[in-house]
Amino acid sequence: MALPLAGIRVADFSWIGAGPFTTKLLSDFGADVIRIESGTRVDPVRLTPPFKDGVAGVNRSGYFTDRNTNKRSITLNLKTEEGRALARNLVTQSDVVVNNFSVGTMDKLGLGYDEMSKLKPDLIYLSMSMQGATGPDKEFIGFGLTIAALAGLQYLTGPADRMPVGTGTNFPDHIPNPCHGAFAVLAALRHRRRSGQGQFIDLAQTEPTMAVLGPAIMEYTVNGTVPERSGNDHPDAAPHGVYPCAGDDRWIAICVMKDVHWDGLRDVLGRPAWADEARWTSGEGRLRDRREIDARLSAETSTREPYELMRALQEKHVPAGVLQRGDELVLHDPQLAARDHWVRLDHPEMGTTINNSPPFRFSRSPSSPTRPAPLLGEHTTEICRDLLGLSPEKIELLKDQGVLA
Amino acid sequence: MPHTSNRDASPTSALEGLRIVEVASLAGAYAGKLFANLGADVILVEPPGGAATRHRAPFVDGQAGPDRSIEFIYLNNGKRSVTLDLDTAEGQAGFRALAAECDLVIEGERPGLMAQRGLAYPDLLNCAPSLIMTSVTPFGQTGPYSLYESEDLVALAMGGFLTISGYPDREPTRIHGNQSFLTAGLYAAIGSMLAILERDGSGVGQHVDVSIQECVVMALENVIQFYDLEGRVRQRSGLTQRYTGAGLFPCQGGYVYVFVGGLAATRFWGELVRWLREERAVGVERLDGEHWTERAFRETKEARDTFAEVFGPFAAERTSQDLYYAAQRRRIPLSPVATAADVVSNRQIRDRGFIVSLFSPALDREIAFPGAPYMLSRTPWAATRPAPRAGEHNDEILGALAALPAQASRVVSEGV
Repeated sequence: MALPLAGIRVADFSWIGAGPFTTKLLSDFGADVIRIESGTRVDPVRLTPPFKDGVAGVNRSGYFTDRNTNKRSITLNLKTEEGRALARNLVTQSDVVVNNFSVGTMDKLGLGYDEMSKLKPDLIYLSMSMQGATGPDKEFIGFGLTIAALAGLQYLTGPADRMPVGTGTNFPDHIPNPCHGAFAVLAALRHRRRSGQGQFIDLAQTEPTMAVLGPAIMEYTVNGTVPERSGNDHPDAAPHGVYPCAGDDRWIAICVMKDVHWDGLRDVLGRPAWADEARWTSGEGRLRDRREIDARLSAETSTREPYELMRALQEKHVPAGVLQRGDELVLHDPQLAARDHWVRLDHPEMGTTINNSPPFRFSRSPSSPTRPAPLLGEHTTEICRDLLGLSPEKIELLKDQGVLA
Repeated sequence: MPHTSNRDASPTSALEGLRIVEVASLAGAYAGKLFANLGADVILVEPPGGAATRHRAPFVDGQAGPDRSIEFIYLNNGKRSVTLDLDTAEGQAGFRALAAECDLVIEGERPGLMAQRGLAYPDLLNCAPSLIMTSVTPFGQTGPYSLYESEDLVALAMGGFLTISGYPDREPTRIHGNQSFLTAGLYAAIGSMLAILERDGSGVGQHVDVSIQECVVMALENVIQFYDLEGRVRQRSGLTQRYTGAGLFPCQGGYVYVFVGGLAATRFWGELVRWLREERAVGVERLDGEHWTERAFRETKEARDTFAEVFGPFAAERTSQDLYYAAQRRRIPLSPVATAADVVSNRQIRDRGFIVSLFSPALDREIAFPGAPYMLSRTPWAATRPAPRAGEHNDEILGALAALPAQASRVVSEGV
């Protein structure tokens, strides 16, 4: 069964977060993604915990491996003219170029779109700088968390009565930027197939996050209202939130969206007297008194085992789910196990490691990574030999000269 | 079927020629929008009277109405709409006739419901052998939780995201804005596009089964690897600096997020200290010394507290905008914690024309909304039409279907 992107090659100059996640969405589906890395200025994520057994090393970071499955790695010193020439050669043999450097960096290396598209007119070239290729602030810099702040996500996330707590993650790096970037590349591949044309794709790492906040931004553009944080509240349903369960820091999410959910919830709780109040039979009443109901409900849930409570509520068709921890997702979640979400790959230095499958399955095409993330420069020799046409002697010479470093 | 392998004379949109049926749902809506804004013809199928997603708050001017849901307006621009009752034989026949002329069906119905209607993927293949179908459901089509009820909050819980979000001294809190559905829409679009590219080679379609829970799992950063490699279970940590020099600080009229520690950011630390020194920040000398370059010291609470005690008062005296531009002039990664109003007035966002506007005949007014999440140089993103009224395009679409049975077309003309 052919992988959807078999035959597509990607020259991947990206590093850290959003870029490598973008190209994972290509490599896991058959594209030959070649990471062009520096052995002297190593991708910082290779140096970021967690490490296998807690021992640091460029080939030991799980932060790195999960986002770089099915890729190859060549080390090239782009500070040397010969290194840049080899990079240009790789680009001319590629269908797609991806980078997430600051604006202008690739141009300074002689690897910008204008020059590269002269050598390869049908090239698809995705640039993911923080603020885009145009505009007065195009040279401004940031990381996932500052991007989440600038895009409006941090402000809107958290309890209403506290400072904006945000998600605690570099969310833009993990979802909005890589997913929009990959979709744009796939659309451009279709266009190229039909027209023979390549193109430049300018993705500002702020804008996809703003796009997934569309309705919040429109509360301002359409209604002139600046939306505020609302914790776990729903604008027109209650109770709706996260409630404590028995155990240490255990919680369950319960969403009463309609009257039948309220009935089901009361059944599961054993029809306590407080819940039979007539003022709460309607959604309006529950919404009005949501804080009072939250307190009552919390007292009930706090003695219940979370998974048993979830199963009881689901039997009554009430939307409910345990707040699952990382260890539970890996060890105990029967759904993720049944769908083979976790893929264990044998990494030469780390041994067996757990990797994410993409979150969808095809009925015909495979959709799981099969090779672990590459060691730093693992494929330098084979790429030099097979793609760049260099002799073993020349490869050794370039290694000695620090070009392949 | 309409799979174009011949080279057209330079199409101006990347996805022109693709025809997509989207059974209206929150789970599939963003996927359909991504296709529509790059030029695909996306047809929303709604039940008579309109989709339930038309009734989700907030509303234009705070007044409910089928054409007034802000979320619906945003997620459905660029699409056309037909109404078909998929629970009747006529509606099902209409749907089959429509699918027969399409490349892709996107749906988010409860697993099994499309099969009950005779509209499961194998059923549709009978009339459209190269059709692709993408199903977006809370837990996917298979597995012990596949029929569980879900909502955004439940998906964030079951996908593990809530345990790492929020303040440790109280309940975890969710990411804003139904992100589990939007994430699922993104992955549904990617899976669909991959299937389209594969079909263009093989001539054969396939079913794409998207799990919203798994989409949430993709956002877990390094949670799984911390457990797998170091046996540590990551928990929520509130606003504790993630690394020394990486955190949120109140300032005049708001907050800023500074990031000069951890990942690649530690190299910006020195410039931040230089800035504080030049501005004569109180206590800046406490950030001097060799120990600040040592990872072991930087990971201590003492280091985080010291940074906060120096940078905190400095930030508190200044506005977020002043801090933003002053920091960025020095190439220090710092951003304001923007409100929706700040996003819209951001000079960079304005210069790039990110906010776009369409006239809505249903509302008789202009509606401004976030525009292109990417700029494709040859085949630009475009918002070509406002969100449709329910069934607005019944005549032009259903009336033109080659395979539409007579009784179905009668129902259509009666304005189902």
